[in-house]
Amino acid sequence: MPANRSPISFSTLLVYVALGVAAFAFLLPLAWMVSTSLKPLNETMSVPTRWIPSTIRWENYPEAIAEMRYFWRYAANSLWICLLSVIGTVTSSALAAYGFSRIEWRGRDKVFLVLLATMMIPFPVVMVPIYGFFKELGWIGTFKPLWVPAFFASAFNVFLLRQFFLGLPRDISEAARMDGCSEFGIFVRIILPLCKPALLVVALFQFLYSWNDFLGPLIYLTDQRDFTLALGLQSFQSQSGGTAWHHLMAASTLVLLPVIVLFFFTQKSFIQGIATSGSKQ
Amino acid sequence: MNPSERRNLRNGLLFISPWVIGFLTFCVYPVIKSFYLSLCDYSILSPAVFTGWQNYVELAGDEVFWTAVSNTLFFAVFAIPLGLLLSLALAVLLNANVRGRGVFRTIFFLPSLVPMVCLAVLWQWMLNGDVGLVNEALRVPLNAINSLLGSELRPPNWLSDARYAKWGLIFTMLWGVGNSVVIFLAGLQDVPVHLYESAEMDGANFPQKLWHITLPTISPVIHFNLIMGLIGSFQVFAVPYVMTGGGEGPGRSMLFLATYLYQNAFEFWNMGYACAIGFVMFVIILTLTLLANKLSERHVFYAGK
Amino acid sequence: MALSTPQLHAVDPVVIRYWEKWAGFEADAMREIVDDFNSSQSRIFVEYSSVSQIDRRLTLAIAGGVPPDVAGIWAYNIPVYSENNALTPLTSMAEKAGIREDDYLPIIWKLCSHRNQLWALPSTPGNTALIYNKKLFREAGLDPERPPRTIAELEEFNEKIFKRSANGRIERIGHLAEEPGWWNGLWGSWFGGALIKGDSELTATSQENLEAYRWVQSYPERFGAEDLLGMRDGFGNFASPQNAFFTGRVAMIMQGVWIYNYIQNYAPADFEWGVAPFPTNDPEKLGDVSVVECDVLVIPHGAKHPLEAFEFITYVNSQKNMEKLCLGQRKFSPLRVCSDEFFQKHPNPHIRTFLELAKSPGAISVPRVAVWNAINADMRNAVNLIWTGKAPAEDALQAVQERQQKALTRSAARWERVEESLQKSWNSQ
Repeated sequence: MPANRSPISFSTLLVYVALGVAAFAFLLPLAWMVSTSLKPLNETMSVPTRWIPSTIRWENYPEAIAEMRYFWRYAANSLWICLLSVIGTVTSSALAAYGFSRIEWRGRDKVFLVLLATMMIPFPVVMVPIYGFFKELGWIGTFKPLWVPAFFASAFNVFLLRQFFLGLPRDISEAARMDGCSEFGIFVRIILPLCKPALLVVALFQFLYSWNDFLGPLIYLTDQRDFTLALGLQSFQSQSGGTAWHHLMAASTLVLLPVIVLFFFTQKSFIQGIATSGSKQ
Repeated sequence: MNPSERRNLRNGLLFISPWVIGFLTFCVYPVIKSFYLSLCDYSILSPAVFTGWQNYVELAGDEVFWTAVSNTLFFAVFAIPLGLLLSLALAVLLNANVRGRGVFRTIFFLPSLVPMVCLAVLWQWMLNGDVGLVNEALRVPLNAINSLLGSELRPPNWLSDARYAKWGLIFTMLWGVGNSVVIFLAGLQDVPVHLYESAEMDGANFPQKLWHITLPTISPVIHFNLIMGLIGSFQVFAVPYVMTGGGEGPGRSMLFLATYLYQNAFEFWNMGYACAIGFVMFVIILTLTLLANKLSERHVFYAGK
Repeated sequence: MALSTPQLHAVDPVVIRYWEKWAGFEADAMREIVDDFNSSQSRIFVEYSSVSQIDRRLTLAIAGGVPPDVAGIWAYNIPVYSENNALTPLTSMAEKAGIREDDYLPIIWKLCSHRNQLWALPSTPGNTALIYNKKLFREAGLDPERPPRTIAELEEFNEKIFKRSANGRIERIGHLAEEPGWWNGLWGSWFGGALIKGDSELTATSQENLEAYRWVQSYPERFGAEDLLGMRDGFGNFASPQNAFFTGRVAMIMQGVWIYNYIQNYAPADFEWGVAPFPTNDPEKLGDVSVVECDVLVIPHGAKHPLEAFEFITYVNSQKNMEKLCLGQRKFSPLRVCSDEFFQKHPNPHIRTFLELAKSPGAISVPRVAVWNAINADMRNAVNLIWTGKAPAEDALQAVQERQQKALTRSAARWERVEESLQKSWNSQ
C-alpha cells in the first residue's frame, strides 16, 4: 500500500521484520551450501551445524573438479550449447515477433492465438516422438537436439518480444516504408536497435534455460565426455556411493556461479523482463 | 486482396516462417505422432505394432500409474496454492514503502535462478534427516515441546520417509517462488493509487483494501501465475529425479507422472505406453487450464482492456 | 616403430568401444585382457570405458542408435534386453567361430541364451553357497568340518549358536535370512519350488514357496521381530570390517564366490571360514542348490562393428584368457575345461567347491523373464513385510501373486505379438 498515507510506523516495522525473516530464510540455504563446500568431510556431518569450518578448505574445489573428471569439458560443452541456443533464439524469435506485430496481414492475430496455445503443451507429451525424430536424423549422442530447435523460435520468447515491438510507434515503420525501405531493412536497421533491452532479456532467459536444462542432455547425450555441467553434476552425485557432500556442494557452487555473476551484471533487465512477461496486455 | 495486402501477407509469413517450421516439426507432428504411438506397442528398436486402446486399458489397471497420478495431484494441490500465497505475501510486503526494496527483491529472486540440479542436490542435503539444516531448525521447537510435554518428537527423515518425501519436495520448490514474486510485484505496482486513496477516505483498513481493491485488480496476474504453476507442477521431473538418485523415492512416494513417463520410455522400452501416459497428462493439464480459464471469467477483472 | 612389419600397418585399426561396469581390481583384470588383445594384433583396437549405472546408460545409448560395440552387463539383463530387440544375436557368429554349448558349463550357456538365440558370452561367473564361520562352530560345540545339510539341521545349528547378551538383545545368531538377503525372492528353490513356471505362470503361492516363506516367518516368530530389527540396525556396512559376518554376529550366510575378496579386505586376520552347499529341505531329492549368475559380454543392437566386437569377445573366451581374467577377479572359470594351473594359482581356497556347485544339476538361475526386476522388487517387499511381522507369509505372497501374475501375463502376451517378426529378423543376422 502506498506509504504516503501509511498508518502507524509500527506496521511498517512489522513489514521490515517479516521481510527480514523471509530474506534470512531465503539466503540461508545458499550460505549453507557455500559453508559446506569449504568444510573438511568430517565436519559436514556435525550436529549442530558449524557455520565457519575449522579450516577453510579451498582445496575442496580443485578436488571436486578433479573427481568429476571432465569438469572443464562439461563447462565448455554447456557454454557452447548456451551460446548457440542464445543466438538461435534471439534471431528467430525476433523475426517471428516482428512478423506478428509490425506487419498487418490477414489472419495474423488468429495465428498468434495458436502460438499462445502451444505454450500449454508440456514437453513430456512430445518427448518421445521428438526423440524418435532426432534418432532418425542420427542426432542422438550429439549436441544438435539441444540447440537446433532454438533456431525455430519458442512461443514464450516470441510473445515477450511481440509485446515490446507493439509498444513502438507505428509511424517509424510507416515512414521507412514510404522511403522505399524493405521490410527486412526496417527490421534490421530501425526496429532491432530500439529493442536492445528486450533482446537482452530474451538472451538471458535462453541462456539460463540452456544452462539449467537437465532432461534434454539426459536423453540426448550418451557419451560421458559430452555431458553438460547440469548432467555432469548429477552423475557426479551418484558416483560417490557414500556421498562426499563437501565436494558435491563445491561442484554445485561452481555450476551456480556463472548464473549468479551473469545476474549481477544484468539485474535490471532480468527483473524487468520477468515483470513484463507476467502482465498480459 | 490488393497488392499491398498481398505483399504484407507474404512478408508476414516470411518473418514468422522459422516459427511455423518449428510449430509443425515440434508441435503438430509430435502431438499427432504421440497419439498414434500411444495406440501402439513401441520399443523404438522395432517398428511400432498397432494395439488399439490396449495401452490405455493397461493404464487404467496399473497400480503404479495411479500412484503417479495421486503423487502428482498431491504435489500440485499443495505446491500451487502455497506458492501463490507465499509469493503474493512477499510481493505485498515488498510493495509497502520499504527502503532497500531492490535488495530484498534480489534476495527473493536469486534462488529461482539456481539450476535444477543444484537445487535438487542442495535441498537433498538440506533435508538430510541427521545433519540437514531443516531438521536442525525444527529440533529447536520440537525439543522445547519435548521438555514441556515429555514427548519424544523427532523431525522426520524427509526424503527417506514415504510420508514426508513429497513435503520435502514442496518445501524445496517453494524456495524458488522469486519468479512469481517479481511478477506479482509488477502487478501490484500497476494498481492505480487513487483507488486506495478513495478507499482510505471511506475508512477502509488494510485487509479490506487487500480484498476489495488489490486482489481484484491484480487478478489477471494471479490467473497468469496460476496457469504457469499448473503447467509447471504437473510436469515436475528434474528435481525429484535427482533428489532420489534417479529413482522413485521410498515406497514410490516420489514417482510423478513425468517420472513414470520417463521410466517407461527410457528404462522399460515401453515407448507406446509412455506416450499414453503423456497424452493423459496433456488431457489433465488442458482440462485444468480450461477450468481455470472458466473460473477466471467470473473472478478475473481486466481493467478496461 | 622400426620393429613393425609393413603389412601390419597397411590399414588403420577399427576402433571398437567397450563399456564395462567394473571399477577397482575387477576393472584392472579386464583391462589386462584388453591390452593383451590390442597388442596381439593391429586390425582392431578396443577402447575400454568404465561406465557407472551401465544399464541405464546402455539403454539410452541403444535407444538413441549410438551404442558401444561391446557392453558388459549381467546375464539377468538378457531376457528384457533381447525381447526388446536391444541386442545383436550371436547365434550364427558363434556357430561360424566354432563356439559350442559343450565348451561351457551347462548353466552358463543357458544364462547366455534366451528364446532360442545366443545373446552373450560370459566374462566372469559367480554363484552362491553357504559360508560359515568355523570358529563360531567350535565355540558352540559343533564340528567345524560338518556344516548343516538340511534346513532342519540349519535350524538346529542356529539354535545352538544363538546367544543373547545380558541386556536381552541378540548378540549372535546362527543364520539370518535377511543377512545379506540378496536372493530373498528365491527361497522357494531350497524347498523344491520355483517362482515361475514356464514363462507366464507365477507360482508365488505354491506349496513349496509357502513352506519356504513360512520358514522365513519363523525367524521373527522365534526370535522376536523387534529384536531382530534391532540387531540388524547395529550391523555395519557390507564392505567394511563391521560386516555382521566378519564381526561374528552371524555365523552362517548365503553369499557368493566374491566373498573371498571381501574377507581378504575386511575380515580379521584369523578368520576361519568354510564353504558348503546351502542346505535344502530335502537334499536327496533336490541335490545341491546354488544360484548361478554371470557377468556377460553382449553386442548391442545397432553396434557399428559387430564382427570386430565378436572377435574381441571370442578372444576373451579362449581358455588362456578366460582363466587369466577369472583368476584376476578371483572367480571360477565358466568353461568346461579348466587347467590344473588355474586351481594351483587361485588364492581362494574354496574355489573348487564353488565350481562343483555351479556344475551341479541342482544349480538354478534367476528366472529368465523380462519382468523379473519388478517381480523381484515385489518379492523383497513381501519378505520385508514378513520379516517385520506386518503380514504372514500367505498374505504377503498372495498379494505378490495377484499383482505380478498380471505383469507376467502382459509380458508374455507382448512377446507373443512380436515373436514371429523378431525371430525372423534374428535368424537372418
